[in-house]
Amino acid sequence: MTTEAKGGRVTGRPLARREDARILDGRSRYLDDIELPGLAHLAFVRSPDAHARVSEIRVPEDSPGLIAVLTGRDLEGRARPLPIQAPEGAEAADEPHPVLAGEVVRYAGEPVAAVVAESRALAEDAAELVEVDLEPLDPVVEPSRSQVELVRWHGEGGDVDGAFAAADEIVTGAYSLPRLAAVPMETRGAVASYDSAGDLLTIWCSAQDTHRQLKQLAAVLGRAPESIRVVIPDVGGAFGSKGSLAPEAAVAAVAAMVLSRPVKWAEDRLENFVAAYQGRGMRADVELALTSGGRMLALRAKVVADLGAYLLPTTAIPPHTTAMLMTGCYDIPAARVELWGMRTNKVPTGPYRGAGRPEAAYFVESLVDDAARRLGLDPVELRRRNLVSSFPHPSPLGWTYDSGDYRRCLELALELAGPKPDPEAGRVAGRGVSMYVERAGGQFESARAKLERDGSVTILSSTSPHGQGHETTFAQIAAERLQIDPARVKLSFGDSALSPPGIGTFASRSVAMGGSAVALAADGLAGRCRETAAELLEAAADDLSWDERGLHGADGRSLSLAELAAVAPELESDARFESDLVFSSGAYAALVEIEQTTGRLHVSRVAAVDDAGTIVNPLLAEGQVLGGIAQGLGECLVEEMIYDEEGQPTSASFADYSLLTAAEMPPVAAAFVETPTPLNPLGAKGIGEGGAIGTPAAVGNAVADALGGRRLDPPFTGEKLWQAMQESGPR
Amino acid sequence: MRISVEVNGERHEGDAEPRTSLSDFIRHELGLTGTKVGCEHGVCGACTVQLDGEPVRSCLMLAVQADGCSLRTIEALGAEGEHPLQRAFHERHALQCGFCTAGFLMSLEPFLHEHPDPGEEQIREALAGNLCRCTGYAGIVEAVEQAAREMGADRR
Amino acid sequence: MKPAPFEYSVAATVEEALGLLGEDSRPLAGGQSLVPLLNFRLARPERLVDLNRLHELDYLRQDGERLRMGALTRQATVERSPLVAARWPLLAEAVRLVGHPAIRSRGTVGGSVAHADPTAELPLTFVALDARFHLRSPTAARTVEARDMFLGPLTTVLGADELLVEVELPPLPEGAGTGFAEFARTHGDFAVAGAAAVAAPAGRAAVAVLGADSIPLRCEEAERALGQEAPAPEVGELAAQLADGAHRRALLAELVRRAVERARS
Repeated sequence: MTTEAKGGRVTGRPLARREDARILDGRSRYLDDIELPGLAHLAFVRSPDAHARVSEIRVPEDSPGLIAVLTGRDLEGRARPLPIQAPEGAEAADEPHPVLAGEVVRYAGEPVAAVVAESRALAEDAAELVEVDLEPLDPVVEPSRSQVELVRWHGEGGDVDGAFAAADEIVTGAYSLPRLAAVPMETRGAVASYDSAGDLLTIWCSAQDTHRQLKQLAAVLGRAPESIRVVIPDVGGAFGSKGSLAPEAAVAAVAAMVLSRPVKWAEDRLENFVAAYQGRGMRADVELALTSGGRMLALRAKVVADLGAYLLPTTAIPPHTTAMLMTGCYDIPAARVELWGMRTNKVPTGPYRGAGRPEAAYFVESLVDDAARRLGLDPVELRRRNLVSSFPHPSPLGWTYDSGDYRRCLELALELAGPKPDPEAGRVAGRGVSMYVERAGGQFESARAKLERDGSVTILSSTSPHGQGHETTFAQIAAERLQIDPARVKLSFGDSALSPPGIGTFASRSVAMGGSAVALAADGLAGRCRETAAELLEAAADDLSWDERGLHGADGRSLSLAELAAVAPELESDARFESDLVFSSGAYAALVEIEQTTGRLHVSRVAAVDDAGTIVNPLLAEGQVLGGIAQGLGECLVEEMIYDEEGQPTSASFADYSLLTAAEMPPVAAAFVETPTPLNPLGAKGIGEGGAIGTPAAVGNAVADALGGRRLDPPFTGEKLWQAMQESGPR
Repeated sequence: MRISVEVNGERHEGDAEPRTSLSDFIRHELGLTGTKVGCEHGVCGACTVQLDGEPVRSCLMLAVQADGCSLRTIEALGAEGEHPLQRAFHERHALQCGFCTAGFLMSLEPFLHEHPDPGEEQIREALAGNLCRCTGYAGIVEAVEQAAREMGADRR
Repeated sequence: MKPAPFEYSVAATVEEALGLLGEDSRPLAGGQSLVPLLNFRLARPERLVDLNRLHELDYLRQDGERLRMGALTRQATVERSPLVAARWPLLAEAVRLVGHPAIRSRGTVGGSVAHADPTAELPLTFVALDARFHLRSPTAARTVEARDMFLGPLTTVLGADELLVEVELPPLPEGAGTGFAEFARTHGDFAVAGAAAVAAPAGRAAVAVLGADSIPLRCEEAERALGQEAPAPEVGELAAQLADGAHRRALLAELVRRAVERARS
């Protein structure tokens, strides 16, 4: 891993993480590690059918350890369906996810009844005794067969029809990405505890942030937000799948309130595969209008998303993001995108690492390569001729890209990838390139910086990490501005009773937004320290110098931060940082080989160049890229959520849904280009998703190159590739 | 059933139904929550502990089967001062969310004991029994190489 | 996913184990295949009979020219055995592909055979090596040839009250080479297809495949060709005919070819 220091004294350095020690010692505390006196356990009765009318539910009178059974009827008046967040300009149907099913179940795995018992095993025993009478209805599995639009959106800019009429060449393509499961190593879960005396519901959630859990739970339960405390423990990964409130968590809350006992729902892996919202599941028909010289004039796209049975709070967001990013990194003056999000009888989709951006990159970059082939142009050269090169760049679809150096990313990626080597005997080789631009940040986050008695600093941040290393990164930011050792900065996250307000951890926004809030809070604290010290040292604030030892007046008198705190306790500063979206970008290249006898795909090298603006910690940033690449490669090689014609998920365990192991990972050459954004004090954008965004498009193009232009969609299984090679004959 | 297990050098007694998994017993009956449960079907490796010196999936053993046996869990690593694997994992950024980490360390300790000088391919194959969704494994491979070097140097 | 409740007994002797087995009670050996089924509630025996204290069944030794392995021999023991590496290299090669080290610490030779997963490496290897399986019931003992043992997916000739107690391997033919090849989605994942080859003079050659059917299959035509020194691709093509589907055949042809080339090198 190439992680050289760059930038400031502390920021820009590849500091190892302070979070590591307690994990390495076995002292971490994730959701299922939480024990409370009198804890009861939840298991769910889930629909075996993808689509059915519920005619009757009979609950057992007795079962060892059984405490209670709750059905949708018991929740009437206690819990509303989950709220829906419609993206800007989109029409969203009023089809929210009920907490427990009502009269109709709409996906296999939908929670129908909740069983509370003394242990999880006993709850599962009792759940088997719950009888649910179902009258099967026809399931809709293909979005193309669906009659129900859950989301509809239209975006347009420039003279699209005129450009297509004037074009020398019109290239069309149809591309599709199957549904994926996020598969964090820790499944979801919640522990709810209710204090009736104070009317306070406390809920620990394995979730991405407190804010959305709190807001959605308040809406579902009809409670004032102040009467709910959300605490985020250590979280074992999320990748977007722990952003929205889980309906099961709402059930845990209701159960805790009704039963006056704390209740734990520790999702198991089978539940997670079946009932956690999934990612991707989109296809696009795209057309590009070009001049014969390879200048892109306009783009038209029809995007259809397989949204599943209901709109969870964030279901509509990824397809909207895809639609908005359909001009990619190219200076295309006109574009029109139509988006349909169709209901199917499957678990809903939602954000999964990239959340619409990988789809856009895949659709656009596949089309660009196909266009290059049609025009007889080198695919890199076609890109060069059309890259956006001046910023800020308003795309015809409505977003303004703040900064970037797409050309440099592309050239560097090519350099890092190297040329396509001659394949091993019995194999064909391919090289593919892709570019991406993605939206990050936006809205607001906040922070409070406090000077402690001992001269250390505590930062309360509104964001909430789940593996990204914010504890370390934010300490670097604050330490730089306060001229102290990062080890003297303590971070506090993830408790709605303590944390300042914010929006959440998703969309690669934490450093850009949360980090900027930390920077401003640290600056604010520094300002107050300086003012206070100036008074005490009887000097002008601006005349004081500040280093690791403290603040110094021209006359030689000094105050350390500890001394300052002793004299002026409660020095603190709040900051709220708001900003428009920032746009990360990058270029990826992949070298692949395909075995002709078996169709097996080998990815031999990935080159990843990401521009996330200023990089605060290159070690952690590179970790994000490598992790994203592994997920992108998983999508290309082995991952796919498969449903049969009855709407049954057939890949519902690790026996069928594979994750790549260390043995499958190719060498990766990763580098950063840093074009700082003007939109925040750090110049930082977002790096959390780039690896997952750039990889599938690059590998897809490499596979098409190896197959002489034959276009396939992922996963690129041996069977698919072999079949394609049979059909097109030897190269 | 009452069972007696030695864990990290200490004798523990506890109650377990026959169907209670060793992972649940370690975590909830003994309160040693450093061992994590990721799948309950033996694929992800998060639950790996050492039984009589060998790495085993604690989710695939019944607690009652461990009666009279000797277990080693992640907490042992913590108590013995910094192990080269822990140091290497930290320095090479081999963990992000950390949920898989205990399983990796419990698998790697015996691996390095049996194969003190492994090549990269051998390391990658040895790691294949533990899934990580965060890191892409690059840091983990480097950490193993670093720990092997350091432990090899200690031996000389 | 927690198992449905069951009774549990630990057998101290083989006789005791045999006395406890029946329609509703299942033996528990390594547990690496059975426990997941219990956790998914796909297996719901009333009683589990734990065989893991039957140390009398945990042995690996040469007996004359033959290899005898007690059914409770851990796969890790096979993996580490210099005897197996030297005299039965096909087995040494195959066992390394069974899951992962933590699986092999507990998984047993007998358990893998009795479980009869269609994608399992050990049943395939034993079929290729003409293993003999020694079975015992409370009243009788019998020997089953490897070719006759496997009936279908997860199904062997074992009766509900029978235990596999020993796996016996004949010596490889003098000067024979062996090779194993498999195709799995990821390392350690179950095999989609697999091939085991013993390159030996005519009559003693073996070609066995998994993935063509729900049980491991020997291919006589391919073995004849192998024994007659036919080119490896030809041997592969012959074995591939056992499968359905063009891609499956292509896979098997390639895997047999690799196994044969390995055997000959």
